[in-house]
This record gives sequence, structure tokens and C-alpha cells, in this order.
Amino acid sequence: MFFHIVLERNMQLHPRHFGRDLRDKLVSKLMKDVEGTCSGRHGFVVAITGIESVGKGLIRDGTGFVTFPVKYLCVVFRPFKGEILEAVVTMVNKMGFFAEAGPVQIFVSNHLIPDDMEFQSGDVPNYTTSDGSVKIQKDSEVRLKIIGTRVDATEIFCIGTIKDDFLGVISDPGSTS
Amino acid sequence: MSVEPFNRLVKLAARAFYDDITTKGDNQPKTGRSDNRGIAVVVLDALTRRQWVREEDLAKDLKLHSKQLRRTLRFFEEEKLVTRDHRKETAKGAKVYNAAVAATADGHHNGREGDEKIKMHTHSYCCLDYAQIYDVVRYRLHRMRKKLKDELDNKNTVQEYVCPNCGKRYNALDALRLVSMLDEYFHCEICNGELVAESEKLTAQEMGDGDDNARRRRRDKLEDMLKKMETQLKPLMDQLNRVKDLPVPEFGNLQAWEARASAAARAANGDLNGNDPSKSAQGLGFGGTPMPFLGDTKVEVDFSGTEEKGENIKSDSGSTPMKVLPPWMIKQGMILTKEQRGEVKEEAKMDGSSAPAGSSDEKKSAAETDVKNIQDEYFKAYYAALLQRQHEQEAALREQGLPNSSISNGAADTSFERQVGLKSKRDDQDDGDDVEWEEAAPEGNTTSENFKVNDLNVQADASGDDDEDDGLDWEEG
Repeated sequence: MFFHIVLERNMQLHPRHFGRDLRDKLVSKLMKDVEGTCSGRHGFVVAITGIESVGKGLIRDGTGFVTFPVKYLCVVFRPFKGEILEAVVTMVNKMGFFAEAGPVQIFVSNHLIPDDMEFQSGDVPNYTTSDGSVKIQKDSEVRLKIIGTRVDATEIFCIGTIKDDFLGVISDPGSTS
Repeated sequence: MSVEPFNRLVKLAARAFYDDITTKGDNQPKTGRSDNRGIAVVVLDALTRRQWVREEDLAKDLKLHSKQLRRTLRFFEEEKLVTRDHRKETAKGAKVYNAAVAATADGHHNGREGDEKIKMHTHSYCCLDYAQIYDVVRYRLHRMRKKLKDELDNKNTVQEYVCPNCGKRYNALDALRLVSMLDEYFHCEICNGELVAESEKLTAQEMGDGDDNARRRRRDKLEDMLKKMETQLKPLMDQLNRVKDLPVPEFGNLQAWEARASAAARAANGDLNGNDPSKSAQGLGFGGTPMPFLGDTKVEVDFSGTEEKGENIKSDSGSTPMKVLPPWMIKQGMILTKEQRGEVKEEAKMDGSSAPAGSSDEKKSAAETDVKNIQDEYFKAYYAALLQRQHEQEAALREQGLPNSSISNGAADTSFERQVGLKSKRDDQDDGDDVEWEEAAPEGNTTSENFKVNDLNVQADASGDDDEDDGLDWEEG
């Protein structure tokens, strides 16, 4: 789920940036530092949408670096248990398949794949229904439900299921190409 | 308050869940002799025929060793089927319990008058806790069904993997770390062995390597299991549904039950000597355990006793029978006093402004209901009484003997207090009829017709209470 929240961060700026465009430099450094990171509490920081406030800088003794407390608005993405996500399959193996929903890695184990889909090994490993109408392989898009999350300080990993109503493949790359 | 459906529930549950429970410790060798499976069912069945029971007595009745019984009962206590109570008591205290036991319907506990030791003993008592049993059985069924259903459609189950070499366990959340680029299996982080999926407990034996065939087999088995469970436990579920809306038989804790049962016993066998000093002394004199209930109940019982006595004296001494005839007895052409017709206007006037006019009516209706209460048994006696005044007096005397028993029955009924609401409703009704009765006596006939429709029990209880008012009024007059 996406959230638009205010976060705060202490930014250290090199003295060489001090000048007319100090503020721009601060923001661009903030974006470089923060976007794409993951915090266990808030999830993945997707994008910074604005600066709320920049506090008074504090010159560090010895180094000349200045620390600015910056409050910024950002979009974060955090997966929750029970959430429905659309994801792209990245790898298929006998144990199940891995998929990605943006920055989040999701594993769907084979017992959470509908019973009528069977693993087919070969050049392109895939899960296929007995009549061959539905196929899950690399780059398939699937809709899945998250049934468990592991949130570490810097990493979020999920396990999902497609064994439920309206879950499963939503577009098959094999059929379109 | 019927215990029977609940007893059936207990028996079904016992056979369904506790059939093969053995209370032997695991360290003891299981020989044929010490195999005590099924004992749980026997004990539960025995408990359905009792209320509170001392465990020694139960052991004696079941011809079990008391240790063995206690072990079983402790198991049931953990299972929340049975409530137990332990207390230190003298022989006197045991007597109170015996008196209480004698009052219960299944009084086949032999009295223990022999042991007159002053020594304090810790006695354990046990009793089925029907309300909790109902909940426990329901919860158990719910858990069984949920476990099977969850496993059947694999809801919210995180797959676990185990390394066959080093025994390290992983779950699906570790999958990203375990996946190897070389082949399509997960590998142990420690020994690089190939991980195998761990299967659920219920169907572990045929899970195998988790291929599709095994999965289907497992699914079939689960479905089969669920179906079997539904069919085999159907009687139990039916019984649960039947019991759902019934009031749960409640014996209260041991002391409350004892007090109530002994009070009921006194009320039941003591119609005239209801407040026999020796008995009441016994009731009071047990081992100093606090008994909040006893006072209340005793007061009630004594009250009815004195009141009935007062009535007896009055009718004996009074040359003219003051008994009010029931309206269905009064017929055309009868020569009756106003009192007999149920018009007690003088008394109502004597009560003055402080007493409401309804009191006389209340009294009258009370008398009516008294007679009606036993009309079935003494129907003919009353009709014979109509012929001659002498006979009628005799009948009146006899019937006055009988409301006493009805009162004591009311006291014996454990749900006695709950009838109070009904009683007050009836009083309202009487007040409503008030005006008609004052105007014309025969109107009483019509109102009594309404009363007849009512439940006999309710009338009996109400009359029991109304009689108390009656007694008071009479002493005033």
C-alpha cells in the first residue's frame, strides 16, 4: 500500500556546496540518498514529492560539514498481509515462483499455486494448467495475495498465494508476443 | 430447568472425545490389567447422574480407587468439564453435605453417620459445569473443523522447508536466500543440502516429496476426514443445537448448592415440623464455613412454616371457616358467607387508607390459586364438600394442609426466585380487576376463568408468595 507521509532526515552537506544553490544541492542529495531505500517501519521510499522544511544547519567540528535537519514529503510503499498486488514473475522453479511488485520480492510456493497447475521443467520452466490455457512463466504478470511478510530493518520480503478467487495470471507474455 | 439434554450432551461428548483417554502416566507400562481406557466415559456418565458429589463417595460408587478417580477428575478439570472444590471440614460439615445429597433426586448415597471424628479432613467435591461444557465442546468442534478446512484450502499457511542433512528448518520467507542459481531447488545455507518441503502434521505420512500426485492424495484424504468428522459427530452437533436455547442448569458453587439443597430437603419433608429445631441446628452448625446463601434461604423457609402454622391455628380455632371458596365451586343457590365468596370487604376497610384496596383482592386471588393449585387431585373431594357444610369444612381443613406442601415445593424448586417477576405481573392483573370485584361478587367467576388458563406452576409459586401477605393480614385482623 502506498502512503504519502512526512519524514525527517539529518543531511550532511559538504562545504563546497555552500553558496547560492545550497538548497537545490541539499534536495538533490536527499533524493539520491533516500529514494529507493527501504526502512522496516515505513517501507520503500518511492519518491520525494516536496520539502516541508529545512532547519538550521549545524557546523560539525573538525570536518566543516554542516548538518541540516530536513523534513520532506515522500511516497512510501509498504506491503501488508492480506493485500492484493500485481507482480511480475522473475523466476520459476520447482519450489514455486518469485515475483516482483516494484521493489518488493514475493515468493509463491508451489502449494500456494492452484492444484490444477503443474510444474513443467525445460527451457522455460513454467506452471501450466492441464489444458494448457493458463501458463505462469518468467515475465508473466500475476495478481497475488500476500499472506506473510518479513520486515527487516532494510529489507521486506513477502510470500504470496494465487490460490484464491480472481488471483493468478492477468496477462500472458507468451500469447501476446 | 431440565438437565436431561445437557446430560445427553455430556454423554455424547464423552464418547466422542474421551473414549480412549487413559490417565496412566507415560512411564508406567501399559499392561492389559492397568489399561483404563473408557474410565473417563464412566466417570462422566456417573457425574451426569449427580450434582455436587464428594469424590470419595463417587469412587466408592464406581468401585474405583480414589487415586485413579482423582487423576481422571483432574484431567477433566483441565479440560474444563468439571468444577472441583476442596475444603477442610469436620464430620459435621460432611453431614451438611449428606443432608444436601439426600435432597437431590438421585439420593443413592449411603449416609455416613458413622464417622464422627472431629479431625479436619480435606474433602474434594466435583460437579459438572454444564455451561462451560457447552462452550468447550463447541470450541473443540470449531477448532477441528478450522484445522481441517485451513489445511484443505491451504489458507494462510507458510510452507516450511527442512534440511534432511542437518535438520535446519526454514520457511517460505527465507526463500530468497535459499534459492540457488544452479538448479531449481532450495539449498541449505549451512550444508548446501537440498531442502524438502515440510508437510502438515495431519497428512505427513504421504506428503513425500510434495509432487502433485501426493498433493492430490492429501487433499482427498483431508476431504474424507472432514466428511467423516461431519457425519460421525453429527449427533453431538445436533445435541449442541438443541441445547443452544435452553437455560443451562446451574448448581452454583458447592456451598450455595449445599445450602439450597438442604433447605429444599427441609422444606420437602418437613410440612409441619418444617422448622424443627434439631434440623435447623444442623443446618447452622457446620464447620464455620461462610455461607451467605444460607441465611436467605432459611428465612424464606421459616417464614412459610410459621405462616402455615398460623393459618392452621386460625382455622382450627375459628368456629366459622374463613376459607374462601374457589369461584368454580360457587354455584347458583348456594348459601355462602361473603368471606366464602371471596368478598372480604370488611378487612379491606379495616386496612384503612394505608393499605391499598388491592390487598384484599390479592388475598382473595391468592386463596383461589391455592385451591386451584391442587384442584386436580382433590376435585372430587371439593364437589362432595359442596353438598354439606360440614363436609365442606373438613375439605377446607384438608386443603389447607395441602397448600403447605405446595409452598414447600415452591421453596424446593431451585428456580424459585426467578418467578418473582411473574408474580408481580399477576398482581398487576389483580389490581386491574379490582374495580369489578368490588362492584359485584359473581364477577369473580369470570376473572378466575382467566386465571385458569395460566400455567399451574406459576400460580403455585405466586400463591406461595401471596400467602405471605395473607398471613400478615390475618394477624392484623
